[in-house]
Amino acid sequence: MSEVVKEKITAVDTVTCTIDGQQITVPRGTSVFDAAGQIGIVIPAFCNHAKLKPVGACRMCYVEIEKMPKLQVSCATMATDGMVVSTNSQQVREGRKAVIEFTLINHPLDCPTCDKGGECDLQDLTFDHGYDDSRFGFDKMRFIEEEKRDTFDDLKIGPEIVLNRNRCILCYKCVRANKEAFGEYDIGAFERGDLTEINATPGGEVSNPFSGNLVEICPVGALTNSDWRYKIRVWLTKTVPSICNFSGSGTNITFYKEDHKNFVYRVTSRCNDAIDDGWLSDITRYGYQIVNSESRLKTPLIKKGGKQVKASWDEALAVIKKHMGQIKDQSGGVCIGGLISPSLDNASLYSFSKLFRTVFKSNNIDFRGDYRYLPSVTDSLFTIAASQPFSISDIEKSDVIITFGTDLIREHHNEYLKIRRAVNFYNSTVYSVNPYAVKTADIAKSEMVYSPGTDELVINGICLVAIEKKLVNSSAAAKLKSKISKLSPGVLAKLTGLSKEQFEELAEAISSAKKVTFIVGEIVARSLDRDKICAALSNLNKLFGVQDKGQLAVLSRYANSKGAQKLGLSATPYEIVKDELKKIWGEYPDCQPRNTDAMINLMKKEEIKGFITVGANPMRLYPDRSFASEGLEHVDFLVACDMFETETTELADVVLPLCSWAEYDGDYINLEGKVQTGKQAIKPKYESKAAFEIMELIARQLGAKLFENEQVKNEEIEKLLKLDSVLPWPDDFLKIEYEKKSSQDGYPVPLFICDDPHHSGHLTEKSPSLLNFSDSAYVELSKGLAAKIGVADGDPLRVESPVGKIVVPAKISPVLNSDVAIIPRNFSSTQTTSLLMRKKRVDSVKLTRVEE
Amino acid sequence: MKEILTALGRIFIRMPIGMLVVLKHLFKKPVTLDYPRKKKPMAPRFMGRQYLERYDDGSERCVSCGLCAAACPADCIYMEPAENEKGERYAKVFEINLLRCIFCGFCEEACPEEAIFMGHHYEFSADNRDSFIWTKEDMLVKHPRKDNPFKTLFRRVRKVYGVGEKKG
Amino acid sequence: MTFYSPVLTNAKEIAGHDKLHLFEFVEDEKQYQLKRYLKHGGYAAWKTVLGKMKPEEVIEEVKKSGLRGRGGAGFPTGMKWSFVPKDSPKERYLCCNADESEPGTCKDRVLMERDPHVVIEGMAIGAYAIGCHLMFCYIRGEFHHCIERIEKATEEAYSKGHLGKNIYGSGYDLEMIIHTGAGAYMCGEETGLLNSIEGEKGMARIRPPFPAIEGLWECPTIVNNVESLAAVPHIINRGADWYRSMGTEKSAGTKLFSLSGHINRPGNYEVELGFSLQKLIYDSNYGNGISDGKKLKAVIPGGVSTPFLTPDKVDVPLDYESLTEAGSMLGSGGVIVLHEDTCIVWTILKLIKFFRHESCGKCTPCREGTGWLEQIIQKIEDGRGGPDDLEKLDSICGNILGRTICPLGDAAVMPIQSTLKDWRDEWLYHIEHKKCLVKQDFGF
Repeated sequence: MSEVVKEKITAVDTVTCTIDGQQITVPRGTSVFDAAGQIGIVIPAFCNHAKLKPVGACRMCYVEIEKMPKLQVSCATMATDGMVVSTNSQQVREGRKAVIEFTLINHPLDCPTCDKGGECDLQDLTFDHGYDDSRFGFDKMRFIEEEKRDTFDDLKIGPEIVLNRNRCILCYKCVRANKEAFGEYDIGAFERGDLTEINATPGGEVSNPFSGNLVEICPVGALTNSDWRYKIRVWLTKTVPSICNFSGSGTNITFYKEDHKNFVYRVTSRCNDAIDDGWLSDITRYGYQIVNSESRLKTPLIKKGGKQVKASWDEALAVIKKHMGQIKDQSGGVCIGGLISPSLDNASLYSFSKLFRTVFKSNNIDFRGDYRYLPSVTDSLFTIAASQPFSISDIEKSDVIITFGTDLIREHHNEYLKIRRAVNFYNSTVYSVNPYAVKTADIAKSEMVYSPGTDELVINGICLVAIEKKLVNSSAAAKLKSKISKLSPGVLAKLTGLSKEQFEELAEAISSAKKVTFIVGEIVARSLDRDKICAALSNLNKLFGVQDKGQLAVLSRYANSKGAQKLGLSATPYEIVKDELKKIWGEYPDCQPRNTDAMINLMKKEEIKGFITVGANPMRLYPDRSFASEGLEHVDFLVACDMFETETTELADVVLPLCSWAEYDGDYINLEGKVQTGKQAIKPKYESKAAFEIMELIARQLGAKLFENEQVKNEEIEKLLKLDSVLPWPDDFLKIEYEKKSSQDGYPVPLFICDDPHHSGHLTEKSPSLLNFSDSAYVELSKGLAAKIGVADGDPLRVESPVGKIVVPAKISPVLNSDVAIIPRNFSSTQTTSLLMRKKRVDSVKLTRVEE
Repeated sequence: MKEILTALGRIFIRMPIGMLVVLKHLFKKPVTLDYPRKKKPMAPRFMGRQYLERYDDGSERCVSCGLCAAACPADCIYMEPAENEKGERYAKVFEINLLRCIFCGFCEEACPEEAIFMGHHYEFSADNRDSFIWTKEDMLVKHPRKDNPFKTLFRRVRKVYGVGEKKG
Repeated sequence: MTFYSPVLTNAKEIAGHDKLHLFEFVEDEKQYQLKRYLKHGGYAAWKTVLGKMKPEEVIEEVKKSGLRGRGGAGFPTGMKWSFVPKDSPKERYLCCNADESEPGTCKDRVLMERDPHVVIEGMAIGAYAIGCHLMFCYIRGEFHHCIERIEKATEEAYSKGHLGKNIYGSGYDLEMIIHTGAGAYMCGEETGLLNSIEGEKGMARIRPPFPAIEGLWECPTIVNNVESLAAVPHIINRGADWYRSMGTEKSAGTKLFSLSGHINRPGNYEVELGFSLQKLIYDSNYGNGISDGKKLKAVIPGGVSTPFLTPDKVDVPLDYESLTEAGSMLGSGGVIVLHEDTCIVWTILKLIKFFRHESCGKCTPCREGTGWLEQIIQKIEDGRGGPDDLEKLDSICGNILGRTICPLGDAAVMPIQSTLKDWRDEWLYHIEHKKCLVKQDFGF
């Protein structure tokens, strides 16, 4: 199969066949089913799925092929030259009738209670192809759940999934998707014959981060999720195309909304092969629930006498006018700073930038609220690495894929699935190079775990070994050799904890690959020394010519990080962006640019007096909580716009309710640089407003005007997006010094703060469904480390760093194999970032058992 | 002369015939009723106000599938499904706007669970519009109907026990 | 010492016979030991192959011998081996299908129990022919004694250097893994067997790709029946022409038949292909007639998945072509004889119960259809049959036949279809009179 599909990509030879009298030419290896689909002939099927290997279980997609005596299943029959196919002959129609009849034998007629009713494949196909009456005169089989009425034999098999085995028609799509696409094994088929049942593995539950897809692909109502269960009939809803707000790759989604109640009922995929293949992560699928949340901010709040009280928009804006105007007049606009969330749309981001740079005339803006202390404000090499072009669909075309410093299942779900697809369907080779063992490794050819904080040494090691083995161009090799440290590969191996053979394996893989994908992720991006690592990456890129035969990029994490970069939302935008902004506005503030860290520092010195956060929550996400809170507490006047009450809004003088992305039309730029539009699904809930409206209102309060009208705004954004935003790597090889950093005594375990696989950022904890998967923080440990400390799964554990201390339950990870601790940052109940120090490359902690 | 004869004929022949009709009706049972003291029995298939039926064990038949609402030509049925404590589907909200209802009976025909029936009740005049919105509490019968033709509609099924489940 | 499966064989007849060979030493109680096997000329073929022959020559020899798969389908073995892509960089595997689960067939079991080394030798030669270095023997889990014997034999073969690294100094490595199944009929089907070895549910895979192209772990894999492999050493030893001289033109060689049912001498008999079924049943060396002197009613010639033969068709040569002509199949050679007091409906009910139980549940017609058929036939057997039931049976059988992934669906309905045709009056009698036409006074 895999070879057949591989050919499909490099399609050179094609076949021509005749389907229902129409001639069609398709690449060799295309199934008759797909070929017919291309000329608009829909063959009915239950078990066929475009992204899974054919299984031929349902037998619904029969076609008649000349010279073949029996009916053939079109999903598994490859088109060949001169094949004459008939998809609607008498024999085929009877075959389908028989299959529908067989399928309905044991399928309960409980459509009234079934949530699939109205969008059920079996209903539709029975209507189109089935008999009117049943010849089966016996009792139906029933997997019984005692103490329930006869049509309610439901079984909860996961935090969000409900199974009704009676309805299952055994197309095995869920089991296959779980295995082939997600690499998870928590659902399976048991027993045999007509007693076969789909169920969770004994003793387990279906809780993988992609479990929602199983419900979506179920052709009948056997798998339903509690999210949509018994809520509304599908024909009463309307669909709106949109974009996921939690992932960097811009997963395409569809909102199901109901106008009278102004309510979003669910999210399903809007299959885009270039990005998501039609698979959604659970974050995307259930994260929308924050839109409907009852705990959203309903009205603006104003601090009066130390307490926040409800106010109208006019009152709130008047307060902002008074205080901001005061700060601006007395201390100048440079004393005002702002932080915006990179999940907001282009218009909001651009309005924010324009508000600060033209009205306040300040350069104190940033969108990276969760990146730690930056030694240099310019952050140049990292910016270059992050601006590199990347294509998600090229992942599956690469024969070598290297994931470096990224835990994909926590950061980039779509890329994670694409890599799995590349391995399962296109025989690609994956190398996982990370400071701790990650889930991606189960498909990796080899997994390399280096000691935390030695990222650039790993890259150097690969380069050195490649030079030693003469795998690369010798002139380039000579040039590089003089630049990088004198450490030999052997010493590097010792420092990084990898072996020289592993360096060799990687070097050989990169140099021999026809097409490489080199993915760099958040572990690098959030590192203190990201510039140094990116310098090493620049050398590697130059030495091997990675980008000449593939792609190398730091993936942007949030829904519109790329857009923020392109629109110049960082304190130091690209030069071309700066020039363009100057041209559009006729002015550009020439004051000192300050990023998040610099701004918080200035707050402490009371040099920044006014601060506006839009959707950002530095209190939770900035990797040094005490530093951030100290800074924000010193601010004279803090305006916070958010959907929910957060740690940051609690400190604010004025809180403004923000719209969710489902409540206005917005453009988002995904990590490939592709602009996608998310349509408005519902009217803004409560009194919330979109960020760009709020920016405009603030500007008008201060006597300025951001945009004459919508069109002007769009034109200005358009101009910026047209700029070529790929920055060139430095021409020469870069020098990388290695400084030995002593580890903190008494704090032996390196700590990584990242997202839970079921959460993203600080908003998803408001989604009840996602909380069902994971509702509080934990510290993830390897089995060995847990044994060393003497804790079992679920035991409370004291996590102590030089600056903070928290108590969280231990969770023994099936994946980790080295001494590291991982704590998710998504839960407000645990102040995870209080353990971090902003100037530390690798935070380390001490883990002790809490004695009862 | 002819006119006189015709007039006499009217008086002596036609008038008595007319009087006879009156006389006949004098002894007939009246077609009107002494409403509201007396009420007319309705035809078995008369379609009055809807009511919701129960199962023999007292549980509600309606599972809020939405088919009656979909079938309703006047769009007068509104419902919200929900899950009860046993994990079964039931109608949390079920409302019929009788001002809009045209008593066509499509809802009764559409109902797959035989839950909604057109009753014989026709007296629901009120002095405000809100009282015409009948809720589930108003429509649900207290006890299952004795002569329900669909009483035996429980599905006949063969029991199969799944893997790892308790039998019995 | 006694055998675990004390069935009758015609070993006496075979001893000294210049053609029949599979059961030559089957009555020898020590044959399972390597020493005795070597004394009887064991592993000579394996040595010849490794020493003198190229893989292509082995395939050519087997092709020339006309050996056909003994598992049921009768596909030429040499041809199957030659389908393995020669230039594929992938591993190749050979699986011996010792999951003998066809009711009425018990030939492989006897072979494995009493002469395990010949199976191992045949597998080794097959493995060498396709260039495989790891072979699997998939044995039915219930065959405890077979497993024991094969395991012991493998151990011996390893210790004496017939298997393992650098066999006989030829530089050829060959490892063998014995995999025991859990006793599913489905795992006797080749793709089901492969799934089972991979650790998946024993379900048939869709073809193409055929296992010879993509089998175990997507690598070329050959699956052969025990009996086919056991014949290979003999072919190498005595030459293809010798093998060809036996049997008929298209069905060469000998075949083991398991005779059971209402017969005086049930047992396993090796005969040349083309042997008369009549003779097999009535000859005193073989079946020796119907038990209790009753009349013959029906014969199932190749395991329960083949259509029934009526008594007038019994005089048929036992080879692939003639049986197909007679409306049945040679199958795996499990001949079941039914005498006149057997109720056909009852027999079919037993069969369909088996097939329903063993259906893997993958494709719809077989999964749902067998259950439905069982319920209808049970209804007829219980005397609750209706006038339209036979028509319904016909139609359901037609909807299953040829519409499933693996042959199990066909196997389940072909006996029903054949009895519906040939014994329709008996079915009708059941429906009309609500009782059996014959008086049944036995129970299996």
